[in-house]
Amino acid sequence: MKADSTTKRVVLRGVYEDNLGIPRSCRGKGRARSCPAADDRPKRFGKVGKIGIIGLFAVVALLGFNFRIVYLDSVGPVAMQMSEQPPPPTPVASPVVQARPADGATEAMDLLVGSGFGPIIETAAETGREYDAMLSHLGTPMADLFDLKVQTIVIDPGHGGSDPGATGHQGLQEKDVALDIARRLRDKLAAVGTYRVLLTREDDRKVYLKERVAFAKENHADLFISIHINSVPAEAGPVNYVETFYFGPHTDQRSLDLAEKENRDSDYVMGDFREIIARIGDTLKTEESAQLAASIHSRLYSNLKRRSGDLMDAGAKTGPFVVLLGVEVPSVLIEVSCISNKAEETRLSTPHYRDSIAGFLETGIVAYLKRRTIRTKIDGDNRENVAQQER
Amino acid sequence: MSPSKKDNMLYVGIDLGTSRSVVSASNGSRNWVESYVGWPKDFVAKKMLGKRVLFGGEALEHRLSLDLSRPLQNGVIKEGTERDEAAVHELIGHLIGMAGAQPEEEMCVAVGVPAEALKVNKIAIRNAVSEHARKLMVVSEPFSVAYGLGALDNAMIIDIGAGTVDFCIMHGTVPLDEDQRSLLVAGDYIDEQLFRLLSEKHPEADFSLNMVRRFKEKHAFVGEPKRRIKIEAPVDGKFTQFDVTEEMRKACESPMPAIVETVIDLIAGFDPEFQEQVRKNIIVAGGGSQISGLDTYLAAVTKEFEPCNFTCINDPLYAGADGALQLATDMPEEFLEKL
Repeated sequence: MKADSTTKRVVLRGVYEDNLGIPRSCRGKGRARSCPAADDRPKRFGKVGKIGIIGLFAVVALLGFNFRIVYLDSVGPVAMQMSEQPPPPTPVASPVVQARPADGATEAMDLLVGSGFGPIIETAAETGREYDAMLSHLGTPMADLFDLKVQTIVIDPGHGGSDPGATGHQGLQEKDVALDIARRLRDKLAAVGTYRVLLTREDDRKVYLKERVAFAKENHADLFISIHINSVPAEAGPVNYVETFYFGPHTDQRSLDLAEKENRDSDYVMGDFREIIARIGDTLKTEESAQLAASIHSRLYSNLKRRSGDLMDAGAKTGPFVVLLGVEVPSVLIEVSCISNKAEETRLSTPHYRDSIAGFLETGIVAYLKRRTIRTKIDGDNRENVAQQER
Repeated sequence: MSPSKKDNMLYVGIDLGTSRSVVSASNGSRNWVESYVGWPKDFVAKKMLGKRVLFGGEALEHRLSLDLSRPLQNGVIKEGTERDEAAVHELIGHLIGMAGAQPEEEMCVAVGVPAEALKVNKIAIRNAVSEHARKLMVVSEPFSVAYGLGALDNAMIIDIGAGTVDFCIMHGTVPLDEDQRSLLVAGDYIDEQLFRLLSEKHPEADFSLNMVRRFKEKHAFVGEPKRRIKIEAPVDGKFTQFDVTEEMRKACESPMPAIVETVIDLIAGFDPEFQEQVRKNIIVAGGGSQISGLDTYLAAVTKEFEPCNFTCINDPLYAGADGALQLATDMPEEFLEKL
């Protein structure tokens, strides 16, 4: 069995080109552990790295770069841009929750240099990476940095016990993957701030949706994040997509079907619904949930897309999920992956991939918290300006 | 093997596996080590062992005194931890040392890694090699096996390792992501199944996962047994004989449905005009290829779909490293200059 020389030459060129594509930034005498994989979130910088970053920010500040944070409006995301050369309109991953155009900017603040973050240009595709870098490089507690008001985050791993959720071709079960990602997300969030992060289930047991909602209330949750893994019927083919929901009417039949599936075993009775349906008009919660969903979804999708070329974006959108309706605080349900896709199931089997997903969720949550704080700050400054003018 | 292109260049092929790591070099040296790396837990252990780091069987033997790492568990550097990345670094250094390079020699190293590790740990592995060699390549294990065998066109490689079963269809180019698949139901999975089955059937006996792995490596088979398999395990401290034929068969056959399904699925996705050629040219490599009766079993199971020919390679331990060495040796000088 011998290959002809032409085939061999083609293959050798392919290997050569493949290996040329691998970054070589860490070459030399440094230890391998100081050079994390490109698709791993860097864990931390050494002393030299930290000094370098601080120095870089100092140089940027001295040069007088005039970067600004532009606040768009009360529900729009915050875009950071250069005052002289505004970037193109922010692309959004979500077809439902969309960024407002920069023309709607009402206030600008020179916060970037002052806050020590340097020139971060935020786009839906890039923010995940930028936040990864920021979180890792500064090592600053986010709660201290942004004066966060959120104290308790409840993470809800879907299904459990006798309810396995979706099952993949190789036997991987949604309940196990969701629990593992939830635990990893808890550890990550606990590490970046002073949050109290709780899980609705710590082990493989069945928890009714009503109990999950009650748990969030009893523990005075400020945010509620429900983690699930999607599955599609075999006839749909090997599709792979992520989608994120906050409570509201369904936007398509598939969302309705999915909500029916996830709402099974809710343990609610009809009487309960009179009260909770009255809360649908809680627009503040809906707006905040929409922001949270968009923030998490865009980062999850853009980062996972780099690993799974076939990944599709089903968007951040509304869906009639009981568990989201019952919780009174900003709440989202994320279908972080699609277990019915064989390749995706294999990836989900690896701890590294599940850890990456948890990292992307963390990035989205922290980004949401940061925006929330900036909005609060700008609102406060506006009120102060008005008061001064009146005086 | 073609002659070295430079007198002072040592070409090295490494197969970095979950269970065993192997090195072949153009100076004729061939070595392997179990993929365990251990660092003494404290200064007492360090003084007792007299080494900064231990590898393979020696590390396993002194595991109680060591922080032990099997870095490529499940086919990837475990959870991206610093310790496991450091273990890969140490392991590669050890393997390159085993190649016996002379101080004046320049090295060109090709490393075959599990397909999943190639996707997620490529840079970490490349960095681990780059300290030792300026010219280096990282490829997937099944590809390096295919290259070594010259099976570059219309062939499928199934590399049954400890952490993963890697599939790769060769069609005259470097395989793309869609030409490759990985399953986690591999050697370690068989060990776990066998351990569970034996513990359930003989609760009075003391089995350990390491014992069960040794039983498997000696007696693994699929299909009809050629003889009864009897092993010895301690019961209340006394070694007792057990017939484990049925349990061995069940455990070894447990990953087969997933393997067969993946073979059929990959062939079905291949160009229809060449499917027949691929079906006749399926090569089984890795430690799992030593399972007795595997080629006959797979041919019988796939017969009801379309007849396939499976060939288990002769030297599964060195096939990956030899292929990687061949790749390094064949790489044209103009390409090597830039690598």
